[in-house]
Amino acid sequence: MALVCAALAVVGCGERERESGRTVITISSSVVGTDGPLLRRQLDRFMQLHPNIEVRLHRVSDDATQRHQLFVQWLNARAGDPDVLELDVVWTSEFAAAGWLLPLKDPSIDTTAFFPGTLRACRWAGDLYALPWYADVGLLYRRTDLVPREPRSLEELRQFAQRAGDRVPFGIAWMGARYEGLVTVFVEYLGGFGGEIMDDSMNIRVDGPEAVRALTYMRDQIVRWKIAPNDVLTWHEEETRFAFQNGRAAFMRNWPYAYAAMADTAQSRVAGRYAVSPMPAAPGGHPTAALGGAQLAINRWTEHPEAAFRLVAFITAPAQQLERAVAIGEFPTLRAVYDDPALRAALAIPADDARRAVESATPRPVTPLYTQLSEILQIELHRALAGQRTPEAALADAARKMNAAIERTGLREYMSGRPVTSTR
Amino acid sequence: MRVRADPRLRQDRRLAVAFVTPAISVIALIAIFPLAWTVWNSLHLQDLRMPWLGHPFVGLDNYAELARDPRFWSSLGHTLFFTVATVALELVLGMVLALAMNSAFRGRGAARATSLLPWAIPTVVAALLWRFMFDSQAGIVNALLVAIGILEQPMVWFIEATTAWIPVILSDVWKTTPFVAILLLAGLQNIDKTLYEAAEVDGASAWWRLWHITIPLLKPTIFVALIFRTLDAFRVFDLLYALTGGGPGTATEPIALYTHTIILQHLRFGYGSALSVVVFVITFALAIIYIRGLGLRLSGEER
Repeated sequence: MALVCAALAVVGCGERERESGRTVITISSSVVGTDGPLLRRQLDRFMQLHPNIEVRLHRVSDDATQRHQLFVQWLNARAGDPDVLELDVVWTSEFAAAGWLLPLKDPSIDTTAFFPGTLRACRWAGDLYALPWYADVGLLYRRTDLVPREPRSLEELRQFAQRAGDRVPFGIAWMGARYEGLVTVFVEYLGGFGGEIMDDSMNIRVDGPEAVRALTYMRDQIVRWKIAPNDVLTWHEEETRFAFQNGRAAFMRNWPYAYAAMADTAQSRVAGRYAVSPMPAAPGGHPTAALGGAQLAINRWTEHPEAAFRLVAFITAPAQQLERAVAIGEFPTLRAVYDDPALRAALAIPADDARRAVESATPRPVTPLYTQLSEILQIELHRALAGQRTPEAALADAARKMNAAIERTGLREYMSGRPVTSTR
Repeated sequence: MRVRADPRLRQDRRLAVAFVTPAISVIALIAIFPLAWTVWNSLHLQDLRMPWLGHPFVGLDNYAELARDPRFWSSLGHTLFFTVATVALELVLGMVLALAMNSAFRGRGAARATSLLPWAIPTVVAALLWRFMFDSQAGIVNALLVAIGILEQPMVWFIEATTAWIPVILSDVWKTTPFVAILLLAGLQNIDKTLYEAAEVDGASAWWRLWHITIPLLKPTIFVALIFRTLDAFRVFDLLYALTGGGPGTATEPIALYTHTIILQHLRFGYGSALSVVVFVITFALAIIYIRGLGLRLSGEER
């Protein structure tokens, strides 16, 4: 049978299987590195549990921007394949608003089992459109041989970084190039000062006094206290990690992947000499970690919504999340998994630190306009950090442009149920 | 002179139409239809993020917005600057390289082959290569400039508009000059050697020979190189996408990158179509100016 199937593969074996009563669904996945074999193992188990469903991998680019483009092209053309989509946390509202995702209304979903921050990024206009798969969160790395302890406030972070300045060239390293990573860094300082980019009613708050203080703090790190080099304005994740890994910085803001990557003594000069914590806050703010990671959603044009939902539920279930954390170190989105001794033994980062970070995780603004709003913000943040304008002026401009973008779409009227009058 | 009443000629013409029709319809399908579709889209509001707005006809609204969009104007300015700077440098350097490769010397074949290497490297790879060379911490450029004393300390090239343009222009010139050189070399080899011999017999200097024989006879080739390079440079995308991402801010953002952002990141298909139409009109106008104004010489008939 397998041979016949292989021989017929070119002429549409999928059709035959459907005739023989099997449902064929596909899931999008970038299958590079250790990610691919793990997912295939899980899919095999799923198919054993559901012998009438066959799941195939639909390979997509590993690069998030390219994956976004592919999905936009496919979904806009009403393609039902892939049936299950792996979405970056900031795309869900955009795709849901465009009508490309099925709302998840199955009564078996226990929303209280997930961390609230991870779930908030899955909702749009009151409905749930995805389930959190794994969480990426911003972490503050520190050199345990240069810094006495975890800084308890942003003021302490500055002091520790300044004091370490005699022994390393940089007090702190972060990704400040003009790209999405800069917004995630800003979101953390912003939360630390008690501000936000946008409130729940889509009012822009990014020009508020807290935001000005947060951006001024970032700028002061470079200009006034000189604890961060000018170079950070061209750095992405990897340049930041290299600076820290080569022993040139006392603190670093980065994602969890760096923890395991820097443990290798052959490449890293700081192996065994670093620890992580959530980014601290200033008085009046709260420790904030930017939320990244992935969610699983169901394609609106799928022919098999039932089978697709079963797959989503299976992959996001505790056993699979635990397996994923153990195999490749990605943080689970279910609270209960953190109590499992297997996770505590397997995770490179101490499980309690990981849990604290995911608990303080805050999604970036949940709005279909996110990509556009983020880009406006990236440009203005970068201008202010590069000294082309003051933080006040840059943020005021950002808020004005963000408001103009929102008004043009009639999004606020739509959200509040009023008839949309503006067409431009 | 045409003979109007010749029936054989009329028959020929009918036959010609029959022969040409398939080609014309293919062009219509792959070039004219998408273009018309884009123009039609540009007259509508189509924002995939906001399906509740529908896609009503909005006339020239998208174009009106474009006229008021400072980011459009600055990206157009960057594109023009990039085009003029790179094409001028590439033409001059390409000419020098072509003249060198055209003279007889040992290892000429090998020199011609190796000079094409930069052209053979994929643009994105080349762009990343240049980004590493201009990296503030580990880049070879800073190391060299500091070592010979031009810079006091390493410089962060990509955070200021003026310095970010330097690697951009250099990398494009590095990559594309060989292409221009090979085009010009082909033209040089078509010039009749006896003209140079005669000039030499008459005692003309090398400089005189360049200005009065080489350049005039090379003009058709120069125009071909100009057309190719100008249109290519005007649509530049991949180099800047990989090298600067349009930054710092939007200081090196070309119009193709801005259009790409509007359509594929912001999902504003209507406004993005209007941008595409403007880019098309400008490149089309440039092509016509070259071909009508200068390209008469392409056919080589009028001289």
